[in-house]
Parts: sequence; structure tokens; C-alpha cells
Amino acid sequence: MTLAFRHRSVPNSPLARWDARWKLAGAMLAVGGVAALDHLAPAAVALALGLSLLVLSRLPGAWVRSRLFLFALASLPFLLVLPFTLEGDGWDIGPVKISERGLIAGGAVFCRGLAIGCFALLLVGTAPLHHTLAAAHKLKVPGLLVQLTLLAYRYAFLLADEMRRLRVAMRTRGFQLRATRHGYRALGHATGAILVRGAERADHVAAAMRCRGFDGTFHTLARFRTRATDIISFAALVAATAALVLWDRLGLS
Amino acid sequence: MTHHSSLVTHHLSHRYADGRVALDDISFAIEANECVAIVGPNGAGKTTLFLRLCGVLAGKPGQATISGLDPAVPEHRKKLPEVVGVVFQNPDDQLFSPTVAEDVAFGPLNMGATPDEAKARVTEALQAVGMADAGERVPFQLSGGEKRRAALAGVLAMRPSVLLLDEPSMFLDPRGRRELITVIRALPGTKLIATHDLDLVLDLCPRVLVLDAGKLAADGPTEKYLADVQLMWRHGLEVPFRLRK
Repeated sequence: MTLAFRHRSVPNSPLARWDARWKLAGAMLAVGGVAALDHLAPAAVALALGLSLLVLSRLPGAWVRSRLFLFALASLPFLLVLPFTLEGDGWDIGPVKISERGLIAGGAVFCRGLAIGCFALLLVGTAPLHHTLAAAHKLKVPGLLVQLTLLAYRYAFLLADEMRRLRVAMRTRGFQLRATRHGYRALGHATGAILVRGAERADHVAAAMRCRGFDGTFHTLARFRTRATDIISFAALVAATAALVLWDRLGLS
Repeated sequence: MTHHSSLVTHHLSHRYADGRVALDDISFAIEANECVAIVGPNGAGKTTLFLRLCGVLAGKPGQATISGLDPAVPEHRKKLPEVVGVVFQNPDDQLFSPTVAEDVAFGPLNMGATPDEAKARVTEALQAVGMADAGERVPFQLSGGEKRRAALAGVLAMRPSVLLLDEPSMFLDPRGRRELITVIRALPGTKLIATHDLDLVLDLCPRVLVLDAGKLAADGPTEKYLADVQLMWRHGLEVPFRLRK
């Protein structure tokens, strides 16, 4: 298992310059709107919108593709299962019946999943995470939740590093992961060691935070400034989402 | 103990919940701007002493004061972060923010500094540890020496009058260690350094406290005590090469 946690620089683009608060609010509304779509055509347009925004964001193609692939993988079961399980008109291929309604419903779920993935990548890729989380705090997300997310993000790197060291230590003593009792025991012990170290580290981090005056309040150096283009971009994204939802609900597809 | 004392312990004891006695009747006083080392074997109680002094571990009032504040008194404990700064053994425990600048600003922002004031303190603290350009770097990607100096900057940004440094040279390569010694030497204020690195003690601290099994075994001039073969041997230590005859 390879956990490649690396901090990535943010490419300069109109989306990177978009005030993180407006971007976060717009993207969250868009995700909510896309999740509510039922029909294939509006979902496909939402996916096209998401992909266009990703192109505008100038994020590295390989980074985007590898992550979108995971979203596609998560949505794929619906596309594969629904055509064979929903009833209605369709096509008979030998003993198998493919339902047109199922194919369209599966396609809609697949497009929705990918479109939501596009908006998520947009948020993650076009601003440093701590900046986006600081924006979330400005949008009234509780400070403790923001602080916990930041700590989880920070220590994911460290945990990955410890897992790598543990794996190397196990391999140097001849351990190979096999589906045997010994293999499961060793894996259980390693997981336990990571958990114990994690708990110890949590105590140490809490002590270090208290020593520097932490009282549960979230503070940040990040500052935000709203420009006219931020509001226009937000309004455009919300209007596009609203149009898609209306199109979907009025049954014009 | 004089009126110039910056840090005073008076029959300080600490017992953990499992009954283990970590500190046993420790008394000493450190003058303002003095640099003192605490040496002793593993489990001697050095880290526990630091945690008691900074108020992380609860204790009885009247056993310790730092610049007149008692860490066991809740009202004093709130003011303590402005007076005493602790640099912990493992910098990864201390660098918990996503960027170095955010981490260094953590303390000042908690103390009520405005973002502008905090930024000015970040710049000042990073300059003091020779990392002026590292503000936007990610703590995970710093080298061991850089992490140690960034952690120190996070404490310096709060402008404490007393610095507690727990094993500052641990895990450092010779260059990182040399750089850190230079930085610590240049720092103003009272410094208490817990370490196994006896050469660092010789370089920085004219006075040493020897702690063993929670008791204060010796308190006096560094060169005299670190050269005492019997004392060092009795307390699980060794005379540094520089002092060997």
C-alpha cells in the first residue's frame, strides 16, 4: 500500500483567484443541486459544467484524471446494475433483458457522481485546504470542526509516514502479507501500534496546543476580500444550478 | 531564591494516577536570563517537570512559580502561555498547523493579537530562527532541524520570558545541532534545557541540575558536576569527551 500524501501548489487560474468563501458557498449549492437531479440530460449538462470548470482551473490533467476515476468507479455499479434490475421497455440480448429506463437512470447517477466529483476537486485543487477551511469558518462552520479537520489533514501525512516505516520494519524481518493466521495477527498488531501511537500523539499535541493558549477557538491568518467578480461568479454558478434543477423538475428532458 | 528569581520550585512533587512518583520534593530557583540545564537518565522526571511548570499537569498550589505565576492556580494558568514557552521533544507534536506561518501565528492569535500583529510576530520569530522564507512551507516537508527551529519560532512568537526546551538536539544531524545551538545562544530570557546532550550543556549552560528518579541529585556549576565521574556514573550519565582526562 502506498499513501502518497504531498502538498501540491495551486495553479494560477480565475478559479484560484475566486474568493474562497464565495467559491465554497457556490460549489456547495451546486453539489446540492446536482445531487437532486433525476434525469439524464440535466445530469449530463451538470457534468459538462463541472468538467468545463476543471479545465478553467488549469489543474494538472493526471491529478484530475486519477481522482475522477475514483468517483467514476464509485458511481459505476449503478450504471452496471440498474439496466438489469429496473423494469420497463428495453432490449433482449439472449436471456438478458436490458431496461431502457434502468440504463437512463444508471447514466443519470453516473453523471451526477462525476459532476459532484468535479465540484469537489475544484474546491480541493484551486485553494490550499487550510484556506478553504478558514473560508468555511467564515461561513459559520463551527471552529472546533474546522480545527479538527485541519488536524486530521496535518496528521494524515504523519500517519502515512509511520505506516510506511512500520511496513518497512515488518518487511526487513521477513514479513509478507498473506491470508494466514500469522498474517492477520501481524496486521492486527501493526494496526494496534499505529492506534496507540496516534493516541499518544493526540495527548502530546493537546499539551502543545494548551501551552500556546488554545482555548477551543479557531483563529487563522487567512484574510478574505470580496470583489465584484466573486459575486458575479457565485451568481452565475447558482443560476446555472437553479436552471438545471428547474429543467429537471419541469420534466423537459 | 531571590527577588530576581524567574522560576522557582518549592518542594515540588508529582505523582501520576497509577501511583508512580515522577517528581519528589524538588526545590531550586533560576534567576532571570539564566540558562540552566537539566540532565538525568530516561524516566528521571524531566518532561514531567516541564509539564508541571507550564500547567499542563495539575498540581498543588505553592510548589512552583514562573515570573510570579503559579501554574496550579487556574487564573494564573491562563496567563502562563504569555510568560513561559515550551519546546517539546518531538517537533511533530508541536507543528500542528498546515503551514509554518499559521503554526507560528497560532499562539499570538490565541492571545488576542490581530492578524496584522500576528503576521509581524511570525516574521520576527522566523527571522530569529533563521527561517525567514519558510512561512508558506508545509511542516511535514521540513527537515528535522527545520522542524525544530519552526517549533522554536512558534514559541518565540509569544515572546515568553522563560523558555523550557525539552531535548532540543534530539534527532538532529551535526549541522542542524550546530545551527540550533547558535539560535538558542542568541535568544534572550531565562532558559531551562532538559537534555541528554552533555556537550550542548557545556556549550550553553553554566549551571546544571541533575535529576534522577524524580529527585534533584545535584545543582551547581556545569563543568564541576559533569566532570565528576562518580556523580555521572551514579545517575546513569557519562562525563562528556571534552571533560575526560
